[in-house]
Amino acid sequence: MILQAENLEKHYGGKNNLTKALNGVTFSVAAGEFLGVMGASGSGKTTLLNCVSTIDSVTSGRILIGGRDVTAMSGKTLARFRRETLGFIFQDFNLLDTLTGFENIALALTILRRPANATKEQVRDVAAVLGITDVLPKFPYQMSGGQRQRVAAARAIVTKPALVLADEPTGALDSQAARALLESFQELVRTRGATILMVTHDAFSASYCHRILFIRDGRVFRELARGNESRKVFFDQIIEVVSLLGGDGHDLR
Amino acid sequence: MTSAELALRNVRKSARDYAVYFMTLTFGICIFYVFNSLGSQQAVMDLSSAQSMTMRMLNSVVGSFSLFISVVLCFLIIYANGFLIKRRKKEFGVYLTLGMERERVSRILIWETVFMSLASLVAGLLLGIALAQGMAFVTASLLGVKISGFHFIFSAAAIGKTIIYFGLAFVLTLFFNVRQINKQQLIDLIYAGRQNEISRAPRPVAAVLFFLLSVLLLGVTYVMAAARLFDSALLLNFMLAVGAAGTFLFFFSLSGFLLAAVQRSKPYLRGLNMFVLRQLSSKINTTFVSMTIVCLMLFVSICALSSGLGMARGIAAELRGAPYDATLILRAETEGGDERSTFAPGALDSALTESRDLTAFAAASRSAVFYDVSDAGVVFEGPGGVKPVLYLLGLTDYNAALAMQGAAPLVLGPDEYGVNFGSGGAGWDRALTKYCAGGGSLTLGGRDLRTRGSLLRRQALEVSTRRNPDLVLVAPDELLAGRQAKKEILLINYPGSSLEYERLCLAALSDLKTASADGVELSGLIETKIQVNDYIGNTTATIAYLAIYMGVVFLVASATVLAIGQLSEASDNIHRYRLLNKIGADERMLSRALFTQNLICFGAPLLLALAHSAVGIAVAGQITQRIAGIDISGTSVAAALVMTLIYGGYFLATYWSSRNMVARG
Repeated sequence: MILQAENLEKHYGGKNNLTKALNGVTFSVAAGEFLGVMGASGSGKTTLLNCVSTIDSVTSGRILIGGRDVTAMSGKTLARFRRETLGFIFQDFNLLDTLTGFENIALALTILRRPANATKEQVRDVAAVLGITDVLPKFPYQMSGGQRQRVAAARAIVTKPALVLADEPTGALDSQAARALLESFQELVRTRGATILMVTHDAFSASYCHRILFIRDGRVFRELARGNESRKVFFDQIIEVVSLLGGDGHDLR
Repeated sequence: MTSAELALRNVRKSARDYAVYFMTLTFGICIFYVFNSLGSQQAVMDLSSAQSMTMRMLNSVVGSFSLFISVVLCFLIIYANGFLIKRRKKEFGVYLTLGMERERVSRILIWETVFMSLASLVAGLLLGIALAQGMAFVTASLLGVKISGFHFIFSAAAIGKTIIYFGLAFVLTLFFNVRQINKQQLIDLIYAGRQNEISRAPRPVAAVLFFLLSVLLLGVTYVMAAARLFDSALLLNFMLAVGAAGTFLFFFSLSGFLLAAVQRSKPYLRGLNMFVLRQLSSKINTTFVSMTIVCLMLFVSICALSSGLGMARGIAAELRGAPYDATLILRAETEGGDERSTFAPGALDSALTESRDLTAFAAASRSAVFYDVSDAGVVFEGPGGVKPVLYLLGLTDYNAALAMQGAAPLVLGPDEYGVNFGSGGAGWDRALTKYCAGGGSLTLGGRDLRTRGSLLRRQALEVSTRRNPDLVLVAPDELLAGRQAKKEILLINYPGSSLEYERLCLAALSDLKTASADGVELSGLIETKIQVNDYIGNTTATIAYLAIYMGVVFLVASATVLAIGQLSEASDNIHRYRLLNKIGADERMLSRALFTQNLICFGAPLLLALAHSAVGIAVAGQITQRIAGIDISGTSVAAALVMTLIYGGYFLATYWSSRNMVARG
């Protein structure tokens, strides 16, 4: 298991108006797995991602990543752990506009002080998998949205992190670019053995995952594994659960 | 809502963006006013006539400098304005998208500029008037005069001048602004924040070529300066133009060159180096102009500081140049300032006996005859091949003169002569030491004489405001018979209270302006220690003060430009640093990246300015040493210290506050 979350609780507010954003969440992610997390806004899925990504701390419970308990870490150890073990992909790409595509990807390696002579090769390898070799010399403003997000994905994956955390990565993309990105995620999982945890509200994006956790009111509401079903069937199953989530379930935002 | 109201609201709303612009303007106006009001400060001081002459001279110097300074400040305004417009572009784009006509947008922009200009003009003048009060006290203490009671210093002329100069600058910025908004496509305005400024940066190959060209141009300038190939105004202007162009190209191509030079190397792929370099090159359009200005301002500052401090230090040496209370020098009238003719010795004594009452000074005065020695075959050259004026003085006269100063007498062996040199700086000293050590043989009255290193004396022999590179050879009295005199000096020490005898002395001698000896017209010049101290203490101190003042002003101005640039850059870049933090760069890495960036921005102009001034001071030093006998090269160290304190302080402050900005963001 790459990630083991045990009985996570996250409370906000004081005695009188206690909000339990996470209320006993337990799940695990195996190496090489592509896990989706779905839920309506306010369900606690962003809090979950923040806790797993060590940006936020839990009130109680344990998070083991690669066998190490991140809830017990603090300060510099945590920053270093985050840098070396986790990769991030954000909804709004977050590329540095002053750097070329190549440099944006290479930056993740240079920050880790990885040896410079291997950098070029590593960047080219990951770019080839994601189909962005052509845009490497370009600046972000010269790329399309889909290309930018794939560059961001390359940056997250190039350091070979134990776990990649993607927060609504298709949120700012059109359907075609989203499809291309999700296919590259699958490719990364298949060829590089990457482990991806993706938070999304979009059933179509979710249908590319191996397994999906549905979060509601700070708990795991349902879990759905794709198994050997086709993506189409999996998609229908997802839609079914989403409608069960109720409330503003049809419009998960 | 009228355009003016909208503009006023905009100014209030974007106060943070305008703060940088406002501060730069206010600062510039303040300095300009203080500088120009220097003249009116004398009104509150009790100045002697010599001192007010000094002030008048200062005023005219300030007048010609203020044009230069206003050009620099004008650049400062346009530069700060550029920042502003860049930040406001998007807003103007939105106005246009909403259907506002370009004329209306321009009108809003004009109103905004007018409001800002008026506000900063008022603030700058108020600050300047306040600062001028303090400056009056500083000036007064330097001139050694008292300010009786409190006077409010207010120079209407300086205010008028400030308003006119800055009015012109504002009109110019207005023109730039309106043109910028009118010229641009709507899409460029709306996406202004997102675009890199990369477009105007030269391509890597071009950057390398430009860089090499700039090095070549600077090399040409340095060689021209070192070889002193600037005798004519045309050549001088050519040299300055080439130097300025070289400096400009240097900064234009610097980041591109660095990028091209290290992009393929390993350090580029280490830590945040590539981010830092890209940051620098993405800001090329604004940075290279400001860096050029800063570099040239620093150059002026270093030169002004080191010569100012050099003069200040020279004052102490000058005061030693008054060995007696007064001297009267009698010599042949010159025609066109060339070699003076010679005359029969004794002219001074005969002129003095003509019904002059010098009895009061009889015990403490003595005349000395300086003979012509052009026939002795002296082979000596000062620094730079300059031949000094040579005199021959009898040993008795010389030792008497030394005795009046309280110095030990010179003892000559057989066939020996002594060498006395007033002052002139280290170069002269070295040359003379070498000359004396070499024996320096010469023939006087049929006898061959030699000298030794221990016979070289450095004693001033007359009271003079001028440091005197004249060379006096001291020979036994018997060799002087039959020689023609070149000048005769009456050395006077006052027997009592200086001021009273000064009056007596001047009264007795002031009409000895002309005399004649065997048909040669002679002129007399009396100088007293009190006069010299007055002159040196005022003129030199004031000029030194002015130079130091200017140096500091330029230093602070250039550091301010850099600090503003870097801080505004840091605030623009907070999102980038936050992003770096998100993808794993820790605080230490970010701090180091900020440090490197600030270091390059502050260091590059300083380094080039230092190179410029090393050449400039070496050349200027030779010239001032030749003309005034002032050695400024040694004070460059002191100047460097002052620079380090001010400039380094600005650098650290900028680094710390930009780090704080990023940490808080």
